[in-house]
Amino acid sequence: MSYAHPEYLVDTEWVANHLKDANVRIIESDEDPLLYSIGHVEGAVQVDWFSTLQHPLRRDFLTKEQFEEVASKLGITNDTTVVFYGDKSNWFAAYALWLFQYYGHQNVKIMNGGRIKWEQEKRPLVKDVPSYAPTTYKAKDADKSIRAFRDDVFKQLDQKKPLVDVRSPKEYSGELTHMPAYPQEGATRAGHIPTAVSIPWAQAVNEADATFKTPEELRALYEGKNIKADGDIIAYCRIGERSSLTWFVLKYLLGYPTVKNYDGSWTEWGNLVDAPIEK
Amino acid sequence: MTLPTKLQEIVDDIASMSREEKLETLIAYAESFPPLPERLKGEREKMEAVPECMTPVFLMAEKQPDGGLIFHFDIPPQSPTVRGLASILANGLNGSKPEEIILVPSDFYHPMNLQEAVSQQRLNGFIGVLSHMKQVAVNFIENKTAPE
Repeated sequence: MSYAHPEYLVDTEWVANHLKDANVRIIESDEDPLLYSIGHVEGAVQVDWFSTLQHPLRRDFLTKEQFEEVASKLGITNDTTVVFYGDKSNWFAAYALWLFQYYGHQNVKIMNGGRIKWEQEKRPLVKDVPSYAPTTYKAKDADKSIRAFRDDVFKQLDQKKPLVDVRSPKEYSGELTHMPAYPQEGATRAGHIPTAVSIPWAQAVNEADATFKTPEELRALYEGKNIKADGDIIAYCRIGERSSLTWFVLKYLLGYPTVKNYDGSWTEWGNLVDAPIEK
Repeated sequence: MTLPTKLQEIVDDIASMSREEKLETLIAYAESFPPLPERLKGEREKMEAVPECMTPVFLMAEKQPDGGLIFHFDIPPQSPTVRGLASILANGLNGSKPEEIILVPSDFYHPMNLQEAVSQQRLNGFIGVLSHMKQVAVNFIENKTAPE
């Protein structure tokens, strides 16, 4: 058994062999954005989930036009193969990949194991920030089939379809509104969305080297909780970053056809007036 | 409010910087982050934990003969932002007396406008580090931690 879409994954060796490939752009996206400045894969550019990808005013992502500008500045064409990697088992790498797909960029991959594995293998990190000639990039209209808004979640509830809550068990049970040891990010209520099952995101990766678990292990993990390929699935966490990793796993490693990431996540639902919550 | 001189200088300096300069300064602070003295390695249980941070952060202080405190931090290298922020506090407050440290207001950082460069969650952690440094200072004042 192999991953459903293994072409969405490359290993560190592949990246090491494509550092100078003009058709490949390597993007680092971290939880701690200073890591890029301390040292990154040669030729890699940085995309920060907050300062690069968020709308400067509204709680939303860049507009299509703003996204085109970002892609152009990074020297990415519509045909470029974009490889994402980052710290923390690729949380924010998956988040950036998800947003690239939202605006229709087809050729995207994750470097399995991310920064952790690259560093474990003692591969070189450099400080030189590369610059690439700006391109003309044409984004597609936002692909709402991979993004859930709160109304989609209400519909999901009406139809008794499942959600995957990928937060920590204590966030799911309502003992905490934020990750253990992480700061409070402003949800006034604790608990989970009804019909959501708890499958913490980290269960999809190997702790030792941050690579994804085997197809067999992943299938057992999600099917064991009744999250199956034949259903519409919405994944959420607190701000949508951990759940984009789960979205990636369900969509590309297990090949589920209909998976959305709810980026409003608990920081929206836990503040929403009249929204049902279970503990 | 009166900040210890060194901390006030850092605040004024960073306040005048562009976003890019702030990031570069934070990186410089992260890279000059002092290593944990050998004698303190593996001694986390003797240190003050900072649960507000996104990263395992531990700190402790030692009293100098003149009564000033020197802080030591244990923060993993995978978290340069936290290291940079802690380093600002250490540079600004090392050598200050516990009585001065507890008077640092928890909004002292506002003029630096760090949210241009760092997310709000990180700044929460920054304030967490400061509040635990103050707690350590209080312990010294109340003699809970054996002075040198």
